[in-house]
Amino acid sequence: MRALWIVLRKELLDAFRDRRMVLVAFLVMPLAVPSILGGTAALGARKHAEQLEGTLRLPVVGAEYAPNLVAWLAQQNIEIVAPPTDADEDVRAQRHDVVLRIDDGFAEDWRGGRPARVEVIFDGSRPIATGATVARVRGLLDGYSETVGTLRLVARGIHPAVAHPLQVGTRNVAAPEARFDLTQQLLPYLLLLLAFIGGMQVAIDATAGERERQSLEPLLATPASREAIISAKILATAVFALLTVTMTLLAYRVSLAVMPGDLLEASFAIGPIALLELFLVILPIVLLGATVLTGLAAFARSYREAQGYLPLLLFLPMVPTLVLMVAPVRTRPWMLAVPFLGQNQLILQVLRSEHIAPTEWFISLGAGVALVVVAWLVAARLYHQEHLAASS
Amino acid sequence: MIRVEGLRKSFRTRNGVVHAVDGVDFEAADGRITGLLGPNGAGKTTTLRMLYTLMAPDAGRVLVDGLDPATHPARVRASLGVLPDARGIYKRLTARENVAYFGALHGLDTHTIAERTERLCQALDMHEFIDRRAEGFSQGQRTKTAIARSLVHDPRNVVLDEPSNGLDVMTTRGLRDFLLQLRNEGRCVLFSSHIMQEVARLCDHIVVIAHGRVVASGSPDELRAGTGCANLEDAFVKVIGSEEGLYA
Repeated sequence: MRALWIVLRKELLDAFRDRRMVLVAFLVMPLAVPSILGGTAALGARKHAEQLEGTLRLPVVGAEYAPNLVAWLAQQNIEIVAPPTDADEDVRAQRHDVVLRIDDGFAEDWRGGRPARVEVIFDGSRPIATGATVARVRGLLDGYSETVGTLRLVARGIHPAVAHPLQVGTRNVAAPEARFDLTQQLLPYLLLLLAFIGGMQVAIDATAGERERQSLEPLLATPASREAIISAKILATAVFALLTVTMTLLAYRVSLAVMPGDLLEASFAIGPIALLELFLVILPIVLLGATVLTGLAAFARSYREAQGYLPLLLFLPMVPTLVLMVAPVRTRPWMLAVPFLGQNQLILQVLRSEHIAPTEWFISLGAGVALVVVAWLVAARLYHQEHLAASS
Repeated sequence: MIRVEGLRKSFRTRNGVVHAVDGVDFEAADGRITGLLGPNGAGKTTTLRMLYTLMAPDAGRVLVDGLDPATHPARVRASLGVLPDARGIYKRLTARENVAYFGALHGLDTHTIAERTERLCQALDMHEFIDRRAEGFSQGQRTKTAIARSLVHDPRNVVLDEPSNGLDVMTTRGLRDFLLQLRNEGRCVLFSSHIMQEVARLCDHIVVIAHGRVVASGSPDELRAGTGCANLEDAFVKVIGSEEGLYA
């Protein structure tokens, strides 16, 4: 225990004296996250507002067949522009999000009281970029259709309600904090990522670096047990990762406070209790990351080789987020035992101000600690290899 | 006092099995400087590594003050002062902090560490750089710091792997005096070298190793007498069998 404390103190002193390491861990990384989140949120909000409220430039093919419809559209904040020669190609090439095509039989059908044909041409492979615009054009056309239909019924002496046997209303019961946006999708991943590999510099430096600088052999020749040495190096890594996460959360809160009002509303606030809950949720991931990184640094033959494994580790926390994006499912108890996936779900619950039940805590923390123990046993085994210190 | 009996160690490499140490026996007594002399690749470093518990022997055993490192690794490490072949020190710590770290790991309190550091500082002439960060230290300064940290716990047995490697003449002279001082204090000093002049000058007892085996041992005079050579250098060449690696 005493040796553990001595090594931990030395590793932290050593790490904190490395100015570049401190700068990256406590300034660059924490600032990167709010910038990414704030940037995407602001960009998304602006784009969204533009698509819904800005003047839409809409090319109309065959505008001459339906002058009234076109004139009505022009009153709805839509600027009618000359159509391209090949509408399909134009949309596919992303020159316009939507092109409206009016059938050449439109006037004839209209006068005959038959449904007159119009076509909304769009590219369904880009739902995020163009979905709102397509919906806006559709909505306008539906509105026009309904208005004219109502007028036609009234002209024939029929109550318009006859054509609406159903009245469908919707009510969103989600708490205001639970309104889901991109920011909330990204935050759990970024938090887990930082928790997992936030201490990578320390881990690699303290084992692979120590070996490369040839100070590991004398260290292992002291009475300190290897278990104590590796545990101290893992803890130093974990401390660094936790500090990185803390700085990130602080920077994120500050950035929320200075963001424009409508963005703040779309996001959420993190109170002190929620902050503590977040720490508790990610603690196993912090320890797991520190242990895996230290084990990897002991396994690798050089500093460079150890760094080579990092892309692999970057990918791990991404997996549950990807799974949830493809197949959003309700939280089930077994999921909480799956590393990253469970933490991802719990972070979302915290962010949505949802209560986390004691059993949920128990499953998540229990599974996390069990995994850390297994990783520690593997890492300690790696630390006992003869070639660890005696590399030359 | 260090005893080595029938020590063997082999490594599996891509080109087959290498018998690095192939039956080494010797004894390094207290109050004596024992030199492990042999060309590069003779198995000196591997022998020493088994001695300070970094490697486990395939066969044979080591006894340090009567204790086997295999069964009492922590106690053996506590009674040994080791200057390994790898003598990296922490660049972001000062020389004093480097020494204090190892003192703490040996269980010393801060007062004792300060006292011992002062004594080693005196003996190794480190005052000029003791409170400087090790970044940019010269080879001599690094080696002195490494020696100081390996001796901070005042060990009975001192093991040094090629201690004069990369040192200039003045520092080597200082080191020689320091090793004599350790011997006169009654310690067991064991060091390896491939430089015969150094060994001849310092050692009370010489163990010549070649190809993982002890090929000769004794005092300088005994070695000369045993080979019938008037000159130690000729004696070494004769027992080793070739001059290969001796001048490297």
